Formats: sequence, C-alpha cells, structure tokens
Amino acid sequence: MPRAFTMRAAIRSGLIAGVVMIYLVAVGIASAFAKREVVTGYLTLGHLMLVIPPLAIGYAMAGRPLPAYGRVTQALVAGLAAGTLFAAAFLAAVALSPGIRLVLNRVSTALLDFVGFRNLGLEPATGALLNLGLAGALALIGGLVRIAPVAVRRAIVGGGSALLVMSMVEPFLRPRLLQLSLSSVAQFIYTSHGLATLSAALILALGAVLAVSWPKVRSTARSRLAAADPGTRSTLRWAAILVAIAFLYTLPTLSGSFLTQVLVLVGFYVLLGLGLNIVVGYAGLLDLGYVAFYAVGAYFTALITSPTSALGWGLNFWIALPIVVLLSAMVGLFIGAPVLRLRGDYLAIVTLGFGEIARVLLGSDALKPWLGGPNGILSVPFMLGNGTYFLPIVGKVTGPAATYFPLLGFCILAAFIAYRLKYSRTGRAWNAMREDEDVAQATGISTVNYKLLAFAMGASVGCVGGAIYATHLQGVVPGGFLLLVSITVLAVVVLGGMGSIAGVIVGAFALIGTPELLREFAEYKLLVYGAVLVAVMLLRPEGLIPDASRRAELEEARELEEGELKVEYDEISGDA
Amino acid sequence: MTTTDPGLIMDPAPDDGRPLLVATNVTKNFEGLVANREIDFEIPRHSIVAIIGPNGAGKTTFFNQLSGVYHPTSGTIEFEGIDISAMAPHVVAGLGVARTYQNIRLFQNMTVLNNVMVGRHVRMRGQWYQAIAGLGGIRQEEDATRRRAFQLLELVGIPRRSAAELSKNLPYGDQRRLEIARALASDPKLLLLDEPTAGMNPGETRQMTDFIARLRRELRLTILLIEHDMKVVMGVSERITVLDYGEKIAEGTPAEIRANPRVIEAYLGKQATA
Repeated sequence: MPRAFTMRAAIRSGLIAGVVMIYLVAVGIASAFAKREVVTGYLTLGHLMLVIPPLAIGYAMAGRPLPAYGRVTQALVAGLAAGTLFAAAFLAAVALSPGIRLVLNRVSTALLDFVGFRNLGLEPATGALLNLGLAGALALIGGLVRIAPVAVRRAIVGGGSALLVMSMVEPFLRPRLLQLSLSSVAQFIYTSHGLATLSAALILALGAVLAVSWPKVRSTARSRLAAADPGTRSTLRWAAILVAIAFLYTLPTLSGSFLTQVLVLVGFYVLLGLGLNIVVGYAGLLDLGYVAFYAVGAYFTALITSPTSALGWGLNFWIALPIVVLLSAMVGLFIGAPVLRLRGDYLAIVTLGFGEIARVLLGSDALKPWLGGPNGILSVPFMLGNGTYFLPIVGKVTGPAATYFPLLGFCILAAFIAYRLKYSRTGRAWNAMREDEDVAQATGISTVNYKLLAFAMGASVGCVGGAIYATHLQGVVPGGFLLLVSITVLAVVVLGGMGSIAGVIVGAFALIGTPELLREFAEYKLLVYGAVLVAVMLLRPEGLIPDASRRAELEEARELEEGELKVEYDEISGDA
Repeated sequence: MTTTDPGLIMDPAPDDGRPLLVATNVTKNFEGLVANREIDFEIPRHSIVAIIGPNGAGKTTFFNQLSGVYHPTSGTIEFEGIDISAMAPHVVAGLGVARTYQNIRLFQNMTVLNNVMVGRHVRMRGQWYQAIAGLGGIRQEEDATRRRAFQLLELVGIPRRSAAELSKNLPYGDQRRLEIARALASDPKLLLLDEPTAGMNPGETRQMTDFIARLRRELRLTILLIEHDMKVVMGVSERITVLDYGEKIAEGTPAEIRANPRVIEAYLGKQATA
C-alpha cells in the first residue's frame, strides 16, 4: 500500500527528530540553555531548542508533494512519533533515575523535572503524555506553517528570527545601551535577563512586517535600479560602498569592547578563510595543514619584531610584514613542492601531517633557543603605537579595536585580491585544475606552476593572519596553533560555500561569531560544528552562499529532485 | 552556412608540401605490453587524416603521445620540425596542438563561457600580479578573450544564452561542440579529435563530419581523427591509417583502405561476421 510507504517515511523522520531531542536533553545542551530567557517568564532558549526539532520535522514532512490534508497528517504523524520516542525515553530515565546518571551524568533530577513539567505539579506519566501531545502539536504547527500562504510563512519565520536574534544579543546590547545613556530604551526592550513581554510582541510584529514587505521592496528597488541610467547606478554603488565603509568604521564604537573582541576573532577567520579558499575553493587542493602557515607567519613576526627574541632585532611590524610574507610564501612553495603529485585524499593526509609537524617543531626542545619551546616568544610589540592610537571621528582607539582596524583593512585587501584573481586567467586556470587536472594540463596549463602559486598565495594570506595574531596577543605560544584551527578554517570555507568570497565571510560569522554570542555553547562547540557541517552537506552541499557559477547547478539539481518527487507522488496517487 | 571571420583562421601558413607532424618509429611499452610498435606516421598540413582500428588497437595510446600525455618508449614525434616526444602536455598545447576526448571531459562546474576562455590560456599573457593590480592591459586581454569565446561558441553553434550555464548542464551534443570550442580557443594548428561522433545518431554524425570538414576549410586547420567506426571517416578524411594490435597494418586513401585485404580481415571482416 503506497500510503503506508509515505507514513513509514513520516514515522522514520519523526523518530530521527525524537532522537535529536533526547540527545539535546541527555547531553545537557537543553538545560545549559534553560538559563537563557528569550521572553522573560515565558520561554527560555532551552525550551526553544526542544521545540525546534518537532516544528522542523513537521515543516519538512509537510513539504512533500501530497494534497494538503495528507501533508498535515504526515507532519502530525512525524511529530507524534518524535513525541512518543521522547516520552518513552523520559519515562525510562525516570524509572532508572539515580542509576542512569552513572552513564549519562547530565540526566539530573532537576533536568527530569524540567522535561516532565514537574513545576506544574504533574506526575511523570502525565508529564510524558504532555510531552507527546506537545510534540504532535508543534509538528502540526510546523506543517500548517508550511502549507500556509507564502506571506504567512514569511511573517512567522521573520518574526521568530527577529525575536531570537534580539534575545540572543541581549547580554551585549543591554549594557551597551546603558553605556550610551539610552537606558530608557534598554529598559523598554529588556528585563534584567531576556526580552520584556511588550517589546517581544513588538519585535515579533516588526520582524513579521519586514519579512513580508522585503520581497516587494527588493523587487521594486531592482527594477528601479535596472531602469536607472549608468551614471546614477554608479553613484548609487559608490554610495552603498561608502555607507558600508562608514558602518564598518564606526562599528567598534557602536558595539563596545566585548563585541569588538568577537569581531576581531571573526576577522582572523575571515582572513584565514579567504586564504584557504584560494587553495581549496579555487584550486581544489585539499589542505588540512593550513594552520602551519598561520603559525609560520606568527612566529616569523615574533622572531623579527620582538626585542627579546633570539634574533632581538625588534623591527617595526610594518617593515617586518613584507619580509614575513615573502618567507611564508617560500615556506608555501617548500611544502607545496613535495606534494605536487598527490591528489585528493592523499594530499589531505600529507598536509595534515605538515600541520602537525609545524606544531611539534614550534614547541620542541630542539628549536627552543630560537622559538622558546613551550614558552613561545613574548614581548612582541603591537603593530600601531603601543595599542593606542587616534583615528578621525572614532577618536582614541584602544583594546581589541586597535586590532580591529588593521585587521579589517587586511580582510578587505584579501577579499579584493581573491576577487580579482577569481575572474582572471589565473583563477580560471585554478578552477580548471580543480575540475580535471589532466585536461587542464592538455589545455596548456602548467599544473605544477599553478599548484605552487596556489600554495604560495594561500600561505601568504595565512601568514598575514598569523602576523596580526602575534602582534594582537603581543606574543606567540605553540598552543595557539592546533589542528583544530585548520579544521575550523576549512569548516568556514565549506559552510560558506567553496570558492565563494561572500561565503567565507558568512561562514566565519556563523561558525566563529555565533558560539561567542551563545557562551553556553562553549562546551558543545565542536559537537555543534559537526552537526552543522553534516546538516549543510546533506541539505545544502554548495554552502550557505554558493559561488555564483555553481548556483545554477544547484537549481538544476533541485528541479530534478522535485521532478522525481512529483513522479513518486503520481505513482502513489495512481495506485491509491 | 555563414562565412567565418577571417580573424579565426588558425594556421595561415601556406601548403608547402611539408608535413605538419611526423612520427618516426614510435614504440610504446607498458611494462611489457607493447601498445604501439614502430609506427611511422605523417600528417600533411591542412589535411584531415584518420586513425582507425578495432578496440584495443592502440589508437588512443598513439594519440596520447601526440599530445604529450605519454612519451614514446622509443622513436620521435616532430611537430613543425620540433621534437615534442619528451614534452609535457601543456608545452605541446602551447605549440599549437589541441585535443578533445572520447568520453567528454569538460570542466563541469565551470560555465560554458569559462570553459572556452580557459581554453585560450596559452594565448594569454596576464599574470596573477597583473590581475590583482589591474595593470598590464589585463582588462583588454579579458575583453578580447571573452569576445573570442563568444565568437567560437557561435561558430560551433552553442546559443549565446547558454554561455552562463554550467557546462555539465548542456545537452550531450552541445557538450561535444563545447569541447571543440575549448580546443579551438587555443588557436591550434593541429586539432586532435578522439571519436568526435561517439554516442551520436546517424543524423548528428553527418552534422559533425560536415562541421569537421568546414573547420578545416574555413579555419585552415589540420585535423587528426580517431575513430572506431570506419564509416564515419570514409567521407571526410583524405588519408586513413589503420592500427591493429599496436601495429600499423595499412595506410592510404579511403578507397585504398576499403580495398585492402588486411584491413578487411582485421577490421571489417570481424564486423561483417558480427
């Protein structure tokens, strides 16, 4: 019976959602976030995390090509499946209560009370039933949202996102508003820990209105722009660039010290991501040892600029930088040369080894007289005026902002270089090499030269990152250059979309910025990275902001898939 | 058929009777397996010649030596008097040898236009530092390359609106044509086509052979075809070389080949009994 088949799919998906929920609870993520209130007194981030799986599965199941009632039924079935599994796990945990903590140490009595709504005075059995009902209801809501008209869907998603974002930035925005003597605004929007009820409603409404009107605004703007003469268009483009620059220029002043610190961290990964994107995204050389270049840049800088290093030259950073870039490019060639003949996985493994060799060497006793062993090199002077300088409009710059400005400059420079290379003879040669090395060579591309060039370019950008890092921390220690850095940078590139410059920036904000804003994540960061990457590979393999030339392929594939689903449905309904 | 822009003439050299490519005594061993044995072979300038032979006869191995993918175990290959037998493929490409593949090998995730533009790599001069700085006439070179690419797309008959599509999304016939456009972008003197009609129906095959004849006529190219199917090359090529078990068993005009008893035995005989 074909209908049984679709129901089986719904149950299976529901069970997956249930497993996700159990996992979130058992590992302790949900309770870690339960202290974070979204709307004071009503909703915590912990609740929200448990709410999302059934909602999402309902939404997903209702996307299948069936008549409306069938889609909603599927959503409900999936939700009930998720709820049943979750409730069963809850009851089992209650039954096994103290003992279970030997295996799952996060499953405390408080947690079980939280999940079972003990604060409402419910017995475990009733609590389990309530959970089951809630999961079903949430999936149903998800399903209804999916089949609702586009405007409604947009409104709900837009409003919800606005609410979430505003509550997430609370710990940074509220003190900032107070500092900027906007305390009345701060008091209106936030209570001491979360959004105030009234402002939450307003933000929800505002987000909804914006999301609904956005497509119309955008299409009007597009058509106006298309109709405008070239002079106006270029004026507008320059105006947009100026606004962007002004925004980035004043951002540290607006956002305050903590957020600037986060921006600096994101900036490092943007820079590294742009460099690795040349190697992996453009040229298709999977480099898992990228941290080596970061380390080389940092150590060379420290060696040359620190007065207490073995060399003791104490050069100015800006004089040292060109030397460091040159040296690192040579290290890039040095590492690139022996691996020229390797492809794909083999290249990945060898570069992974190089990254580890770099780390071990830096901390080794053998090189201790020069590199300081585990103590590293200290007293690296800051790149600009001892960490305090004056800029027009912004005024006195100090703390993380002092790094922010030069780092921003280098990020813009790297993005510009990456852009120029992408649409050039060089960029095309790299892409051809990525697609088919043999054919690229038969087309007249010297794959040896272009591989080495890619390695050297990637190394140069990475080492600039390292150089800034060394002066930012005013010292280097080997512990800062772990394999994890290579993997995180690669994750940034892959998440954003291989070969896409905008993708790198978005990827860095998503992977580096978000965990900083959600401090509760810290403990689960790697877990979440893994989950996010798997999800991206499954749902959006081209990355968040796909490379323009790859976007077309995507749409094609999607059309095909929908076509197949359609056929599947036609067969089903024909049978029934 | 439109007349072609004289700017597209690839090899304006006069026919002075000297061959464009000469292979002398070429032998290729793969660890004991002799794929090509002592082959002598010539391609006269501005001609269309074909190498045919049953599967496994060593056609593609020979072809790969002409384009620098393999190097002969012994013997020499000269292109315009230059010994290319030890050269890397990208150097050979730079001299003016371009090729296509039996199983289409486009740069799949690049756009149609970029596939052709990358084909012009060897005729471009822009370096990475010039691209970054925007100096050294890089804009003009890009523009000229783009114009040339569109011209070639038009020549092979790929509609302009497909230019921004990823090459893997093109229909099969267009992919074959795009491969030829990519090869032509390098301004080759010698175009090597590896089974250009593989997977085509008789109508498409006729179109393709007409197109190959036109390329030679209007672009003044020299073309070497490899074919499995003998009928394809009979109408279009002036000279045919037949390989079997790695050896040259016959050479001559299509009529001579058709009448050659060794060819019939090695090749047609098998097909006739099939």
